[in-house]
Amino acid sequence: MNDNVINVENLVKYFDGRCVLDGINLKVPQGCIYGLLGRNGIGKTTLIRILLGLESPTRGHTSLLGIDSTNLPVEVRGRIGCVAEGHNLIQNYKVSRLIKLCKDLCVQWNNEFFEHLIETFRLPLDRRVKELSIGMRAQLNLALAMATEPELLILDDPTLGLDTVARRQFLELAIELIQQQKRTILFCSHILSDVERIADRIGILAAGKLVVDCRLEELKKRIKKLQVIFPNAAPENIYITEIINQQIRDREIVLTVANWNRQKQAILDTFKPSSCTEIPMSLEDIFIECTKPAQDVIQTAV
Amino acid sequence: MLNMLTLIKREIYDNIAYFVAAIILSMILIICIISAAYRSNSEEAPIFAIALSLPVIVILIIGFTSIGVSQMYIDKNKRISAFLLTLPVTRGRILTARIITGILAILTLFLPLIITTMILYRLLSPPVPVFEGMFFDIYTVTLLTALTSYCIGLQTGWMKGKVIPPLVGFIITFVFASIIIIKGLGPQAWLPLIIFIIASVIRSRRKFMKTSF
Repeated sequence: MNDNVINVENLVKYFDGRCVLDGINLKVPQGCIYGLLGRNGIGKTTLIRILLGLESPTRGHTSLLGIDSTNLPVEVRGRIGCVAEGHNLIQNYKVSRLIKLCKDLCVQWNNEFFEHLIETFRLPLDRRVKELSIGMRAQLNLALAMATEPELLILDDPTLGLDTVARRQFLELAIELIQQQKRTILFCSHILSDVERIADRIGILAAGKLVVDCRLEELKKRIKKLQVIFPNAAPENIYITEIINQQIRDREIVLTVANWNRQKQAILDTFKPSSCTEIPMSLEDIFIECTKPAQDVIQTAV
Repeated sequence: MLNMLTLIKREIYDNIAYFVAAIILSMILIICIISAAYRSNSEEAPIFAIALSLPVIVILIIGFTSIGVSQMYIDKNKRISAFLLTLPVTRGRILTARIITGILAILTLFLPLIITTMILYRLLSPPVPVFEGMFFDIYTVTLLTALTSYCIGLQTGWMKGKVIPPLVGFIITFVFASIIIIKGLGPQAWLPLIIFIIASVIRSRRKFMKTSF
C-alpha cells in the first residue's frame, strides 16, 4: 500500500514556452511536515496549484491521498485543507457569510476549534473580507482551513502578512495540528526560521528542479561549508564532486559541498591544506547556497 | 446533494439582483397581459400577444445574456472558483450550480407568466384550438431564446477583456434574434436554438474544466 499522501512523478510545467517545473519527483509520507522552499517565481505555487487541480500539468503525474489530483472527488477534497498564496477569499462577502459558506460546503467542521481560532485571532465577523487587513485575511483563511480538520494541509506562504505575534500563534497551531495523528502538512514559506521550526523534511526548488529533498537534520549533516587554507596558492580544481559553491581567494577556498564523506575528505587531504575548518550553516545559509544559479548537485539526496 | 444546494444558494445570493429584476418584469408583464386581456376583444388577443412578445424578447436577450456574462466575469475576476476549489467542491459542480441558477432565473420570469396566460386563456378565450398552439409556440421560443442568451453570456463572460466579451455576446444574440424573426416563433426556430444551447453548454463545460484558476 502506498503511504505517501503527496506523490509527484516527473512533473513538467511550461508557461508560454518557459519551463517552470522540470521533471519534479516528490513523495511526502503520512504525518510529515514538508517545507518546500525556493526563490520567488521558481514554481512553488505552481506545484501547489497543480496538486490542488487548479492548474493542469504539461507532463507527469500528481496525486493527493492516492487520487489523481487532476480529478479529485469531493470526498477527497474534504480531507484537504488549503491556505492559498494571496488568500483568495471571496472579497465582497462578509466574514460571517464566508464562514457559513465554508461550513455548509465542508464534509466535517470542528466548530469549537474554529471558534477558538476566531477568538484568538480576534476576527470581526460583520466586516467584509475586502475590508480586512492582509494579516486578518491570512488568519481567516488559516482558521477556515484548520476547522475542517484536514488529513492534509497545504499552506502556500501562510504567514505572509502576519505580524510576529500572529506568526508565532500560527506556528503553534500548526504544531498542535501535526501532533494529532496522521496529519500531513505541505508548507511553503520564505521565512526560513518558520520552516526550520516546524518542518521535518525539506525540499528546495531551484531552476525548475527539486535540488534538495531530505530530512532537515540530514540536510544539515550532508551539506558542509568548509574554509580550507593552503600553504601556497589554492588549487584551481580540487576534483571533489557535488560542489555547490566555491570561492577561491589567494591561499583560501571556501567550499560548500553536498554529501560530504571520507572519500571527499581524502581527496582534499591530497592537496595538503594547512587548515580545514567547518563553518556552521543555518537553513538560510543552505538555502542561499542551494538556490544560486545552475546548481543541481544535491539531486541524489534522499 | 447538500453541497450542490449550497452552491446553488450561493449563486442565487450573488445574482439576487437578476432574480429581483425577473420578478419585477414578470409582474409588469402579468399586469400588461391581464389589462390587455380584459380591454381587448378576443380577436385582438393574438395580435397583442405577438406585439408584446417582440419587445419582451429583446429585453430578455439583454437580461439573460447579462446574467451569464456576470456569473462568469465575476468568477474570473474575483477568483471565486479558485477559492471554492480549495473546499470540497469540484469544477463540474460549480458549473452545474451556475447553470441551474441561470435556469431558475429564467423560470422565475416565465412560470408566473405562463400560469397567468393559461388561467386567462381558460377564463376568457373562446375554444379555438389555434390560439392554444400559438401561445405554446410563443412561450417555447421565448424560453429557448432566454436560454440561448444565457448560454452566450456564459461563454462570453469567460473571455478576456471588459468590452469585447459583452459586445460579442450581444452581436451573437441579435443574430439569433434575427433568425427567430425570419423563421417565426414556431417549431422551425426551435431546432437551431436547441442545437446552439447544447453546443454552448458543452463548450462552456469543456472550457471551465480545463481553465487554470
